[in-house]
Amino acid sequence: MSSSSDDDDRIPFSRRPEWSDVRPVPQDDGPHPVVPIAYRDDFRETMDYFRAVYLADERSSRALYLTTEAIEMNPGNYTVWHFRRLVLEALNVDLHEERDFIDQIAMRNPKNYQIWHHRRWIAEKLGPEAADKELEFTKRVLAYDAKNYHAWSHRQWVLQSLGGWEKELDYCQKLLEDDIFNNSAWNQTFDFGLSYNQEYSKVRYFVITRSPLLGGLQAMRDSELSYTIEAILANPQNESPWRYLQGLYKGDTDVLVSENQVSEVCLKVLKIDHSCIFALSLLLDLLCYGFQPSDELKGVIEALRKSEPASSDDKLASTICSILEIVDPMRSNYWAWRRSNLPSKAC
Amino acid sequence: MDPEGLEFQRERHVLFLEMMMERLPSDYETQEINHLTLAYFAISGLDILGALDRVDKDQIASWVLSFQAHPRTKSDLDNGQFYGFHGSRSSQFTIIDSEVSTHNCSHLASTYCALAILNMIGYNLSNLNSEAILISMQKLQQPDGSFMPIHFGAETDLRFVYCAAAICFMLNNWTGMDKEKAKEYIVRCQSYDGGFGLAPGLESHGGATYCAVAALQLMGFINADVSSKPAKSMVIDVPLLVEWSLQRQAVNGGFQGRANKPSDTCYAFWVGGVLKILGFYHFLNKGALHRFLLSCQSKNMLPDLYHCYYSFAALSLLEEEGLKPLCVELGITAINGHVWTTDVVIGPIRSSEAVHEKS
Ligand SMILES: [Zn+2]
Repeated sequence: MSSSSDDDDRIPFSRRPEWSDVRPVPQDDGPHPVVPIAYRDDFRETMDYFRAVYLADERSSRALYLTTEAIEMNPGNYTVWHFRRLVLEALNVDLHEERDFIDQIAMRNPKNYQIWHHRRWIAEKLGPEAADKELEFTKRVLAYDAKNYHAWSHRQWVLQSLGGWEKELDYCQKLLEDDIFNNSAWNQTFDFGLSYNQEYSKVRYFVITRSPLLGGLQAMRDSELSYTIEAILANPQNESPWRYLQGLYKGDTDVLVSENQVSEVCLKVLKIDHSCIFALSLLLDLLCYGFQPSDELKGVIEALRKSEPASSDDKLASTICSILEIVDPMRSNYWAWRRSNLPSKAC
Repeated sequence: MDPEGLEFQRERHVLFLEMMMERLPSDYETQEINHLTLAYFAISGLDILGALDRVDKDQIASWVLSFQAHPRTKSDLDNGQFYGFHGSRSSQFTIIDSEVSTHNCSHLASTYCALAILNMIGYNLSNLNSEAILISMQKLQQPDGSFMPIHFGAETDLRFVYCAAAICFMLNNWTGMDKEKAKEYIVRCQSYDGGFGLAPGLESHGGATYCAVAALQLMGFINADVSSKPAKSMVIDVPLLVEWSLQRQAVNGGFQGRANKPSDTCYAFWVGGVLKILGFYHFLNKGALHRFLLSCQSKNMLPDLYHCYYSFAALSLLEEEGLKPLCVELGITAINGHVWTTDVVIGPIRSSEAVHEKS
């Protein structure tokens, strides 16, 4: 949280000749400020000079420079950003240069809303020619932090407003390859692979459902299903592909129930990992939607029930709830509630 | 006391907040633009801790009211600017000897925080010129139903739909927004996994999900006890949302904001609050969450105000002894929240500013 690193050799505005004609405007906190902030001298002085140029509405190159300093100390100040945009417009600054400035500052403050908003403002002004650069930039940020929410948000906006869908499919494919590689090759990259996978399903869902180049969710379902099953089998403890799988059939539970591969992947996983809560809860949902379980599946589930033997009138769905109550202690109250609220059509 | 010897150290937390009220450390200067929000954390925190008697309410009321942007004339309300509250002093200038703003940087989030603070210290909000706030606020709503927070443009997302709904609710007047449009926008933010993203198509996120559900609740689109109602009667997919929310409780008992992320104290409020509003709070593992929150009480370091505040709020949801209950959807203590539904007025404040507001 420290301000700029070159604090020591910073020359105060009051000693810069080019600012000698400006009288700083101090902040008026009133007689009894609540939660007053202990401003550092540099911060206070910079903002006092900012107030002076802002109040005078001075749209000059020195004002632009001043906003750079103010932003570096205070990147969340939307008024400073707003004034900077007014100056940029007045001076007719080449926005490619402004984008270079944002490249720098965004890498240092990748989670700041105002910086991303400013970036969008530039890209909007530059139009479709900016699409490639913007996609490239978000890719760089995401390579560093695959879960950066702002970067994903920006990327989606670029695709929808400026285009670039063609390349997005390649990007997805590359993420998939990286992901599989990461997960299987090095154990220490497990967490990284995990989060990558999560983001990947999100962006994939977005591309599949929104891209004008693809036929929509239904057209892509078969190929998506095999990808998702592959991802689940690679790491059954990752929640993301399980959610994605259900997302593929959102609002279409009849198709979900009739798709044999779905119950089969649950079965496969449960044979290796008896307590996989994602497999169990997906099976529970299937049964609640009217899925008819095979004898093999019934056998596997009954075998998982370790304690008391099932009474003959117990539903399979009820057995699954009982297992979940034990293997998922964070949510045992919930699974108990599900057990007592099973729909009549559930087996 | 917890079996592991962890205890909620109320008195220490009160002292910490009192210290923050006195002076915020320099590191907060990067959040200077959100000065009212910082005040909200400190004051509302003291309120939850039952220690609001330690602040000077008249002083706070004057200070908060001084951030309000006032139109010169009624016709100003059509100029596209939002006449709410400034976030800080950094860019607030008034014409000498009047309170008319020369530069209007009113922000929805600051306006929410201002009203929330005034509410909790018992200021009668009917003293405010709410028409100016509400009429000018309409201009911030976008064709898709979302809100931008400030008239000169900024990101539009669920956070500001929530602020707008909370402002209308506190002022007990919904002319400030088109509820139907806002609802449609919120519905479009629900992701395939049941949670809500900050904008349509974005990944489900604990904070965004709170904004969505709390806003729907304030707007009257969620029935008091969803768990007893058939899911089909709801505008959103509640069963999927409940499962997504419960799934956010991680093995250490805390809540994460997104899948595959570490747990963090603030989501115990954001996600826990969602479950509370929906009537499913009793399904989470309260003991494990309680232990997680208490283990996060910092021993030596000064905690940050934001996480400190949301830890108190989360512990209040858990009914920690000595903490006041919350009006979850409004983000303030319940007794204050009820002022607006039952029209009970807690001791009006006699400050010069309060009189100004009428004019
Ligand atoms: Zn947090």
